Amino acid sequence: MTVTSQRVVTTRSARANAHIGRHAQTIAIAVVLVALLIFFAFSADRFATAGNLLNLMRQIAPTLIVATAMTFVISTSGIDLSVGSTVALSGSLLAIVLQHGWNPTVALLAILVLGALIGFVNGWFSSYQNIPPFIVTLAMLSIMRGTALRATEGYSTPIDGDLWIVQIGQGRIAGVPVPAILAVLVALVGWLVLTRTPFGRYVIGLGSNGESLRRTGVNTRKVGLTVYVLTGLAAAVAGVLIATRLSSGSSNAGSGFELEVITAVVLGGTSLFGGRASMLGTILGALTLGVIANGLVLLHVSPFYVQIVQGGILLLAIFSNSKVWAKFGAIRK
Amino acid sequence: MTDQEAGRVDRVVMRDIRKRYGMVDALRGVTLRVGPGEVVGLVGDNAAGKSTLMKVLAGAVVPDSGEIVFDGRTVSFANPKDARELGIEMVYQDLALCDDIDVAGNLFLGREPRKAGGMLLDVRKMHADARRHLDALNIRIPLTDIPVGGLSGGQRQAVAIARAVTFGPKLLILDEPTAALAVAEVETVLELIKTVSAQGVSVILITHRLQDLFRVCDRLCVMYEGTLRADLDARSTSLERLVSEIVAHDAEEKEGGRR
Repeated sequence: MTVTSQRVVTTRSARANAHIGRHAQTIAIAVVLVALLIFFAFSADRFATAGNLLNLMRQIAPTLIVATAMTFVISTSGIDLSVGSTVALSGSLLAIVLQHGWNPTVALLAILVLGALIGFVNGWFSSYQNIPPFIVTLAMLSIMRGTALRATEGYSTPIDGDLWIVQIGQGRIAGVPVPAILAVLVALVGWLVLTRTPFGRYVIGLGSNGESLRRTGVNTRKVGLTVYVLTGLAAAVAGVLIATRLSSGSSNAGSGFELEVITAVVLGGTSLFGGRASMLGTILGALTLGVIANGLVLLHVSPFYVQIVQGGILLLAIFSNSKVWAKFGAIRK
Repeated sequence: MTDQEAGRVDRVVMRDIRKRYGMVDALRGVTLRVGPGEVVGLVGDNAAGKSTLMKVLAGAVVPDSGEIVFDGRTVSFANPKDARELGIEMVYQDLALCDDIDVAGNLFLGREPRKAGGMLLDVRKMHADARRHLDALNIRIPLTDIPVGGLSGGQRQAVAIARAVTFGPKLLILDEPTAALAVAEVETVLELIKTVSAQGVSVILITHRLQDLFRVCDRLCVMYEGTLRADLDARSTSLERLVSEIVAHDAEEKEGGRR
């Protein structure tokens, strides 16, 4: 270690600097978000209306819910590419079993269990068998998408609008869309778990130095598996939200969804190498993506550009994460 | 060193420990004993079996044969957890700290104080306890809420040792604790070893820095090719004697020491 790093701990102002350094990207994304809000508020007529902002919240709800879970996975230095396919499979199967006359509550529970099981398979291969999660979840991406296509034969399956379950996607409580309320709750619980519970601590520890954590007697494999169960479960919730909002289950839902989710997480300052996470950053990241997509549409920009912009943002975020902001922090990652 | 320890129960006795890895005889019947509060330096060339022997004692390696007696009771360890429950802590060569977690978090990693029925971390208690433990060990780290990645090598090593000591071990094993440290930082660690042993903790110190051994150790055990070659009193042994034992030359090659 250098003399510089020794000096870091000696003064309180240095500590403040170190903390700012660690959260530089989260602060930066907050600034970008505010700038975007101001820009669109002035350039797009209908952007800064309560109706549009609530709509925006509903649009990003699935992304935010899965990004919350994905923050845990990425903090362990893992990745889950299968979430988009899980969204498609859970939405399709929900519509199909409802069409077969299942009780909506039972159907909902069954879909959530299915999502958790998909996550369990991802986690078992990644954590217990030490197969790179990139490959495991890429394989699962293909398997789940294929299963969804096989189950629906490629057709959309309608969901009866009279069932209570469509309220999950379409309902409002005191004018606020249910998906938005759900997403905010999930993000809050995610933040609490990540920063205030032993499990959250072990997730960070696993990504920071897994061997060290193992030697202290923590069951690191169990922690590593659990995070994938979380993303699987979150993806199933997102699938239910999307299917019930559209009153239809489609095997094409959620294509490119994993990219959006990962972009939101990385944009918020969570390190792809693990150990550094910011749940607040994830929330801001998801909001930023939503604002860009929503604002561009209101400006009558071709929706095809949204995907280009999102990919560009991901690249820029990873670049700044590993090259620019790292210089401010006390830790080289 | 026979009379002075005769009346006391040894903290740990390892008897005739053997371990084979395929064709390699890593340990060929090693017997080692450590008294309470004693600091034993374990030295030997690379591949002499020091680390393997210590991993056996820490429960990380299961020996093929041999007996371990801890505080008068015969014990056997299937994993590091068994050893830790008896009060044997090992600080590994590659600092086992999480760089992204703060000082207090690393001290209590895996054993965090909890509240709300074990659901939540008791962060405040963690920092208060960390402060107390660091002060008790004279470790000068002003802030406990800074990630350990921002600390110097000596401070990190001190945190690693403090973590091992925090839960009141009876035997502390240090594997090359000063290998990568600057001179001033080595002093910190050596002082820490003295502080700990004064509190009654037995210490086994593995190091290649022979000059450190004479500063803190009571006894020096020299290993050579999987056996314990010599058991020397640190106060009456010369550096030349120690070096010749390590390289297993009885008379020649006395010049200098291997560093």
